[in-house]
Amino acid sequence: MSLIHHRWLAEHLPEWEREGLVTPLAATVLRDRYRVESRAGLAQMVVGAVGSLLIGAGLIAVLAYNWDEFPRWVRLVLAFGPLAASQAVSGWVLWKNDNAKPWMRESAALVQTLAIGAAMALVSQIYNLPGQWTDLIFWWCVVAVPLAWVLKSDAAAIAYLFGVAVWTIAQAGDRVMGSPALDVADVRIWFPILLAGILPRWPGSDLGDRPQPGSRLVLAATALVGLLAVAAFASGQQGQLTGSFTVFPWLAMLSSAVVLLFPLDPDGVAEPLSRKPQVVLGGLAMVIMALITTYEMPARELVSGVEPAVRLGWCWLLLAVLAGFMAVAFRQGRFAVLAVAGLALVPPLGALLSPSGTGGWPVAIAYSLLLLATAIVLIALEFLGRQGAARIGAALITLLVILRMADADVSLLIKGLVFIGIGCVFLGFNVLISHHRARVPGGSPA
Amino acid sequence: MRPAAFVFAVASLAQWLVPLVGVWQHERIIARGVAVRFECAAPDPYDPFRGRFLAVRPAETMVLAPEGIAQSADGANRIMVPVWATLVADEHGLSHIKSLSLEPVSGPTVIRLGARLSGETNGAKMVMISWPLDRFYLNERLAPDADRLVAERLGRGKPPVAEIRLLDGQAVLTDILLDGVSIRETVKQQAK
Repeated sequence: MSLIHHRWLAEHLPEWEREGLVTPLAATVLRDRYRVESRAGLAQMVVGAVGSLLIGAGLIAVLAYNWDEFPRWVRLVLAFGPLAASQAVSGWVLWKNDNAKPWMRESAALVQTLAIGAAMALVSQIYNLPGQWTDLIFWWCVVAVPLAWVLKSDAAAIAYLFGVAVWTIAQAGDRVMGSPALDVADVRIWFPILLAGILPRWPGSDLGDRPQPGSRLVLAATALVGLLAVAAFASGQQGQLTGSFTVFPWLAMLSSAVVLLFPLDPDGVAEPLSRKPQVVLGGLAMVIMALITTYEMPARELVSGVEPAVRLGWCWLLLAVLAGFMAVAFRQGRFAVLAVAGLALVPPLGALLSPSGTGGWPVAIAYSLLLLATAIVLIALEFLGRQGAARIGAALITLLVILRMADADVSLLIKGLVFIGIGCVFLGFNVLISHHRARVPGGSPA
Repeated sequence: MRPAAFVFAVASLAQWLVPLVGVWQHERIIARGVAVRFECAAPDPYDPFRGRFLAVRPAETMVLAPEGIAQSADGANRIMVPVWATLVADEHGLSHIKSLSLEPVSGPTVIRLGARLSGETNGAKMVMISWPLDRFYLNERLAPDADRLVAERLGRGKPPVAEIRLLDGQAVLTDILLDGVSIRETVKQQAK
């Protein structure tokens, strides 16, 4: 049942209770089983967050104007004044405790977050501190994230996640590009620590706070992007020493698989795919990389990166986490995501099994066959009544056929006819799966 | 005190401490440091948080490698390493790098730099230097004129001079000078 149905049920239950159609006990059970997240004050929260964002961004722009007519101490007062004011407002909101409306908490946390950035930027400007703007972000994030915890602010949490991702990308960029910066932070250590900084907000001290759908998307996207940046950093670190940057593709695959398989509680497992952005983003990244690897040259480079990658501690950490996540997913019967995540384990097998001198063809062919097998598993699971993704499986098969036909040495006429045929089969399958879902009571999650 | 209030109080204190530590460090260098000047180039780019600045590029970027810097065989030379440079002033009062050391050295005109092996010149190993000062922030009305002024002077072979303060190997860029006058003053005078 989708969230729309949950909301419809929640809206009708009071009426049914009044009419005696359901008992109060049954209504309570139904409300517990088909929960609806509160949307009270959502518009107020959004407007509050946008207003705060504008005030904070305006503050930064006003300070960036550079008031160099004033002496340093006046400019420092200008920097710290808004910070003090925003702290006072946040303190007042915190003091009101449960009487503070959600939009107040969001606005206060966001304005204070931006006031911190403005103060740090102005100090940096006054003393002509070197370095890119991204260098400011680390300390900004570290001192601002407690606001997301204590004020229970999603906006501050999202700002923190964006900041952490941007800082990690910047550090990885410095390492990959061989930047002249002396003090490039080791994001293999710092990114996991910074990402863990969000735990006091989600799931919180009582383990009960789950992010809203939009926040989940930001959380999943920043975790994936950050892990890919760490993979680039590890690759760049080794590349600086050896001149070879080939370890990135496999580390990126492992990172995507980790995000894809992130453990969920039983309620989370039962949710539809549209509510699990980590599965969508991690799976998409994994499938795209696997599709690229169905070509010979990328497959060769992927396999050649395995041997240098296994010399990295980061690679072993990813493998250990992946093994743990796979075990949990297996116990929960999440076979569809296991099938997709398993694609990340092909490169080491390829490096072990393919004879030297054969180039990338064995692995490229293996990826084509495995993607086909994965697609069949995704379709079959749905028809077997398990959690699958039949349409995604069908789309994957279609993509594979299109790729193979595109590089096949056959006439345009044959290619055209095959494409028309595939299109018809795809549409026909879509109709078939719609009928199948309509027959299954309650439908199955996509 | 509630736990949330305690965390908020600690966080609010940290939000002051982080920038104030920077203020204290740099005020100390400005108050007690030794003034040093050297030639530089300074085009005008933009920072989204801190506004317009002159991108300061000291003229001296390639110098003789210090003893013991990693050789290329292990690849470590591709990574920037910290070095300590001793500066000496010439007869015009402009400073140059006298020597580099991989170990910290003390002295009033010592500055911590980054160095990376770059190749050989006349058989001598050279390193590329990275200076810990790369931007001089200016009011956005003044920056375009300052940029034009610097470009004109560079065309005439009269580069601007960066003035820094040095203390314990740390540097603060305090001004950019044109003929001994602050670039801010020069641009304001020209605008009148």
